[in-house]
Amino acid sequence: MKNLMIHTPEGIRDIYGGEAARKHALMSALYNIFMSYGYEEIETPIIEYFDVFSNEVGTTPSNELYKFFDRTGNTLVLRPDFTPSVARAVSMHFQKDRMPYRLCYEGKTFVNSAEYQGHLKESTQMGVELIGKSGAEADAEVLALTCDLLKAAGLSDFQVSVGQVDFFKALADDSGLTNEETEEIRQLISNKNFFGVEELLKDRKMYTEIKEGMTRLPQLFGGRDVLDEAEKYAINDRAAAALGNLREIDRILQEKGYGRYISYDFGSLSKYHYYTGIIFSAFTYGTGEAVAKGGRYDTLLTHFGTDAPAVGVGLYVDTLMNAISRQRVD
Amino acid sequence: MRTITIALTKGRLAKKTLQLFDQIGIRAEGSTDDSTRKLIFENEDLAVRFFMAKGPDVPTYVAYGAADMGIVGRDTILEENRHLYEVLDLGYGKCRMCICGPESARKYLDSGEQIRVATKYPRIAKDYFLNRKHQTVEIVKLNGSIELAPIVGLSEVICDIVETGSTLRENGLQVLEEVCPISARVVVNQVSMKMENERISEIIRQLKEALENENN
Repeated sequence: MKNLMIHTPEGIRDIYGGEAARKHALMSALYNIFMSYGYEEIETPIIEYFDVFSNEVGTTPSNELYKFFDRTGNTLVLRPDFTPSVARAVSMHFQKDRMPYRLCYEGKTFVNSAEYQGHLKESTQMGVELIGKSGAEADAEVLALTCDLLKAAGLSDFQVSVGQVDFFKALADDSGLTNEETEEIRQLISNKNFFGVEELLKDRKMYTEIKEGMTRLPQLFGGRDVLDEAEKYAINDRAAAALGNLREIDRILQEKGYGRYISYDFGSLSKYHYYTGIIFSAFTYGTGEAVAKGGRYDTLLTHFGTDAPAVGVGLYVDTLMNAISRQRVD
Repeated sequence: MRTITIALTKGRLAKKTLQLFDQIGIRAEGSTDDSTRKLIFENEDLAVRFFMAKGPDVPTYVAYGAADMGIVGRDTILEENRHLYEVLDLGYGKCRMCICGPESARKYLDSGEQIRVATKYPRIAKDYFLNRKHQTVEIVKLNGSIELAPIVGLSEVICDIVETGSTLRENGLQVLEEVCPISARVVVNQVSMKMENERISEIIRQLKEALENENN
């Protein structure tokens, strides 16, 4: 502990030599894909007001944010995630009648996570936000883009697992559960802990379809046939619409030849509460975590005074680098 | 075929689990040999390998993807709090997480005053007192023989797993409150679950079936 002067803090690191060159090459390859899809660059500040990432916005938990004060006592944070920043900037500078906007970004994000969990506290993200366009076509565009990004990174064996948070919310609507219970179920489902769900719902009075549906959600993942199975639990208009959205996305992506990279997971429910429609994670060998995450967030911009639908994806460049070097992709 | 790696909790849990895997036709040579000091056992034909680790390390191996699956007690899963899929309750290794102490300590739990709690499970103890009982406590982390703490006056109560309660009784302690039931669980890495969905789901399905047959 004597030589603090030449060390970096836990979870923060230097990148140099071959690794720096590889990272730069990877990021330019990804950048070219952004450009080929017609995305424009946006740069947002590393430091933002705390309110941009507050609880109501539903992002990283407050205790995992790096916080400090400005001279007048306002709380500032280092951005943990780009999406709320981009939503804020769009609400502030962009005109609604010129939508949709296709924006891409790259930069560092900061999360003060627990020690020894193997997560970097400073990490590089690259991603896009497609703002002002709702519907399956926009969702499919971002999913296709995600596949093209991973291919450009040199990966051939990866899966983009797509869920729909609205499907769960639709079941929760008619379940008669309190908000707290719904949150508990959400966590159990997203940990694929179906016996936990079973236990919690055992003595509850609710429609059998909802109870069966909620218990089944953690296991409802895999190829396109899970869409057929989900039909059984589409008990109201909202659930039917959520499923319809996935079917439409599936049709577009099959047509464009991305079918082999896509799978579905009705139990994938993010802890970021701002997601309203599809939600997805990209997985590959060589890393225990997702290399990209994204989804639709139609209500996030209203926090900043603009009412516009949006969908986006963020790539974890460091995790991706890890996966690539373990798979020895050239 | 990629090898599926399964992390087992060293000791009784591993023994019982290997028997269960044996029933569904997944055996690894030498794994049931009590005298061996080997840590890894492989079945090359099925592309499955097992390794033995300390309980608290099992969620770590699985979270990092060094193991695709793991068998571990729920106490360890709660304490380590890593992002894992918890997919099956194996039903054995049953015990309870409890708050224990001498009968005279019950009044501290009812009055909600600040007390010391000795435990091997600081996260579970903290969550129980803060979020469920809304009582401010000082957590003292110990690494074993937790029952000593109230006897020698280190803490008022302890938070520990209780199986039969005989160790408690012999030391003049008893269960004052129950935190949650514990049993052995199957955990799966989130990436493995997606990339090796078919094989892992099949293993889980067979384990479940074997357990049901055993219970009937």
